[in-house]
Amino acid sequence: MAVSVDEAVSTRPARDRGSPARRFGGRGRSALEVTLLTVLAAVMLFPVLWMIETSIKENRDVYAIPAKFFDFKVTMDHYKDVFVASGSGRSTLSAAFLNSVVVAGASTALATVLGVPAAWAYSRFAMKAKKDQLFFILSTRFMPPVVVVIPIFLMYRQVGLIDSKLGLILIYAAFNVPFTIWMMKGFVDEVPAEYEDAAMLDGYTRLQAFWRYTLPLLLPGIAATAVFALIFSWNEFVFAIFLTSSDSVRTAPPAIAGLIGGTTVDWGLVAAASVVFALPVLVFAYLVRKHLVAGVTLGAVRR
Amino acid sequence: MSDSAPLTTDQPGQVASATPPAPGRSRRLSDRGLAVAFTSPALLLLLAMSVFPLLWALYLSFTDYSATRGGPAQFVGFGNYTAILASEQVHLRALTTLVYVVGAVTLQTVLGFAIAYLISRRTRGRGLLTTLFLVPMMLSPVVVGLFWRFMLDAQFGVVNSMLGSIGLGQVEWLTGQRTALISLILVDTWQWTPFIMLIALAGLTAVPRYLYEAASIDRASEWFRFRTITLPLVWPLLLIAVLFRAIEAFRLFDLVYILTSGGPGVSTETLSFHVYKVAFLGFNTGTASAYGILMILVVIILTQLYLRYLNKLKED
Amino acid sequence: MRYPQRRGRLSVPGRTVLLATAAMVVATTLVACGGQSDSAPKAPATIPELTKDPLTLSFIWFDWPPAHALETFANAEYTKLRPNVTVKVKTVPNANWHDAMFTQFAAHKTDFDIPILDSQHIGEAVTNGNILDITDFVKKNIDVKAYNPYLLAAYGQFPQAETGKRDENASLYGLPLLGDTWTMIYRKDLIGDKPPQTWDEMISVAEKCQADNPGVSGLAFHQANGSDAAAVTYNTVNGVYGGNLWNPKTRKINGVLNDAAGHEAMDVLVNKMKPLTAKGSGNWFIDEVNAAVAQGKACIAFNWIAASGGLLDPKQSTLGTTREQILDKLGFATLPSQKTNLVPLGGMGMHVSAYSPEANQAEALSFMKWFEQADIQKKWAAAGGVPSRTDALESPEFLDAAPFNQVYTDSVPRMRDMWNVPEYARLVDIENTNVNAALNGAKTPKEALDDIAKEQQSVLDAAGGKGGGGL
Repeated sequence: MAVSVDEAVSTRPARDRGSPARRFGGRGRSALEVTLLTVLAAVMLFPVLWMIETSIKENRDVYAIPAKFFDFKVTMDHYKDVFVASGSGRSTLSAAFLNSVVVAGASTALATVLGVPAAWAYSRFAMKAKKDQLFFILSTRFMPPVVVVIPIFLMYRQVGLIDSKLGLILIYAAFNVPFTIWMMKGFVDEVPAEYEDAAMLDGYTRLQAFWRYTLPLLLPGIAATAVFALIFSWNEFVFAIFLTSSDSVRTAPPAIAGLIGGTTVDWGLVAAASVVFALPVLVFAYLVRKHLVAGVTLGAVRR
Repeated sequence: MSDSAPLTTDQPGQVASATPPAPGRSRRLSDRGLAVAFTSPALLLLLAMSVFPLLWALYLSFTDYSATRGGPAQFVGFGNYTAILASEQVHLRALTTLVYVVGAVTLQTVLGFAIAYLISRRTRGRGLLTTLFLVPMMLSPVVVGLFWRFMLDAQFGVVNSMLGSIGLGQVEWLTGQRTALISLILVDTWQWTPFIMLIALAGLTAVPRYLYEAASIDRASEWFRFRTITLPLVWPLLLIAVLFRAIEAFRLFDLVYILTSGGPGVSTETLSFHVYKVAFLGFNTGTASAYGILMILVVIILTQLYLRYLNKLKED
Repeated sequence: MRYPQRRGRLSVPGRTVLLATAAMVVATTLVACGGQSDSAPKAPATIPELTKDPLTLSFIWFDWPPAHALETFANAEYTKLRPNVTVKVKTVPNANWHDAMFTQFAAHKTDFDIPILDSQHIGEAVTNGNILDITDFVKKNIDVKAYNPYLLAAYGQFPQAETGKRDENASLYGLPLLGDTWTMIYRKDLIGDKPPQTWDEMISVAEKCQADNPGVSGLAFHQANGSDAAAVTYNTVNGVYGGNLWNPKTRKINGVLNDAAGHEAMDVLVNKMKPLTAKGSGNWFIDEVNAAVAQGKACIAFNWIAASGGLLDPKQSTLGTTREQILDKLGFATLPSQKTNLVPLGGMGMHVSAYSPEANQAEALSFMKWFEQADIQKKWAAAGGVPSRTDALESPEFLDAAPFNQVYTDSVPRMRDMWNVPEYARLVDIENTNVNAALNGAKTPKEALDDIAKEQQSVLDAAGGKGGGGL
């Protein structure tokens, strides 16, 4: 299985080729299709391009009517404002980015450490009601965050986890563990159990066999899985906005949302912060492009 | 996109079915212990962070507890549930949510499938095209919401500016009673069409070529081939994608929060947004918990459907 | 969650019930340990001995220029008196301000010592015992005669004072930090130097200005459904046209808010004022109104004084390249009057968190005493703040600091506030969404006002019903 995007989009001869009777009509139709695709691509990408453009415009030009597409003065001030506070020193936005790195990183690490062994166990061992367990695990991932946050809030309040990075890390890990297990189980399934059996004939225990033979083979899969977990934690907004309140804990999404709703809105800064925020995700997503289908369906669809 | 070999070597087109290697082929006593040791930490985290909070919410849903007002919680039986189910305010939000979910998911499915179909017929540039189309999906809802709010601004937004330059008047995208909900659907469609596209594309490329070739020999029409070969083969996968999106759309909160805050009036308030208001504006925790449990019931039904189709797909 | 495809053994629902019961027992115990409803704890009359150790005094406010001004000002000035103290003003997005404070209050653990509450939040905080009763402290340490009594009452008194007055026997829970009200911002170059005096005149001037200047709208004001945006707008018009928000004695809203004056005010707002605003302005709040003024797109605008500083910044403005050029075009005036001359009371007080450590509470009291001195209030005025002491309000330090400060001083005797009952958050949300609906054509003005009155009344009537209801 595991058709990756690469495969899905790999060059294959068009199906109509070799059917000369159709070729003429095919050409006009082909042109139409290319045009359609181009238009659709332009519509999909325009907002992103406009965001990048806004981030390098002066605020005067941002509000210009009619909108200025090309003739504006380029400025990098907004990017500077993302990282440097108006006086000097670090801006609160850059602190939020750092918090995001810590929270996303730690929650991903936790989810990986808990999820990978579980995935291996689910793949290798016979267990009571295994399918039910796995489906139960996946369905916890589908809970509406805005509903879950109510009891989580009460629970955190009892144990003092509100407005703490640890609180966010735990809840993100809890949302990432189901994904990690499902995604990784697919990868483990692809590593033949015979490797482990062979190692065990050599006198290794099952655990050693997993550690020495299976785990190294799983590393690329673990990396891909971790990247998706990272993206989820990085982009998450609902828990972040309800469970944090101080600058030292707040992650980037609520911090960026907080840029509007003051007395003036600096759309240039919003755009620059958004670009800086989105860039790592796009890079990471590109790195794991082979596993996108599995990744975006929480590991449920593997083709 | 690079042409690096995919990690796995299975033939394309075969539906995910890798049966785990016969479990416990060399079962030892320690295997069972190992399985428990490896799965229980993850399960414990889920119990603590997902199951326990939900059961707590279930308990609170039968009380009049308030998170700010303190005092012991009084049992009110099914009072909260009947109040919610009878409330016209809730009916209104349910209708809004329904329109939103159906509208957004339908639009995404049609568009996403169309794009995937067009891409699958290209020979060159498919990698680049796919990559470009996927960008919106990777953005945080916060970024998407903020930026569309900026672009849809009636006065200085670029959308109205472009409409103006081709002679159309200003549209009140975010403040018209109908247009606001349409805008919400459009923005969600913009972000999630790539999701359907990606999965549909995986399905389309997996259709075995010999089927087309056979049909081609039979001189079957294009439409006939699409209807009898392509669609039936892609449909199960597409259904999974649609259900997945429906669950996600039903849960939607962040986009509403940023794009319209439920306005104008309450015309874009979804159920999620309403729960938030009940829970965090009035701190009517008891009611909010019952409301949340009811929403979870809907999610569970949708998830059941999703898992059933997923299961079917895997067994095929 | 359950999955029915299972044979043998205990059925899933059965096990779920078992699990649920177990969890409920745990949950009940946890909830029972939760907070008791306690009346507000009292602050000592005299400030306890202050610590010599380093201490961080934390405020919480929403993110806007006065918050940053306060932090800079306090760190520059208060540290002269208390060198071991650092002042930190935590800021949250405006939309989360209430939630951020009250979710922490609810946790009985706050990471701030001085919450800066909106005047209308006091009821909720006092009823839940979240902030200290500082009545005795004020008696002993604050010169109450130096203030307009209503200002002192608005930011500190509960139960709420009558408009314009203070009840000397009522308890105080806070002191003024930042005064505020709406100012009318008008384009001198478009409508002349003399601001309109009555509400009707203001509307006709705006109408003419809009007709004479294509691309410029007659009016710009808050219409959003978040925070208290649309609600303050309606309340202002309601006050000007002689309406009342409620009868506090009988706790009646239905029949009071939606009386003839109330309906007239809603009609003026929706049918006379809204048509003069820019298309799509139905979600505007502070920043959008400021942007419209700065972009030269509005003849007359209404905004909070404390949020108007940005209008004078040439970097944000197309009205001029220097502050002077901008001021040639922009005028600031008190609101026009009609049947009454009422203006909305804005601004916030400072309060003391009941859950902060004793040393910090003592420091907070010390800060408040220091802050309310005459010379410090003048310095705060010069630093960009809006003071509350009458002497500071009339001082050249304040009046010369910004072109709209005179507006504030003139407006002080004309102020009216909303309800500060514990149900405030729900009341204001009902009003916001319905006024917003009326402004955007989702409801007729009459329908909207009657809905507000009816829904608010049911919230007030259900008060004390704890966590049920609230839909």
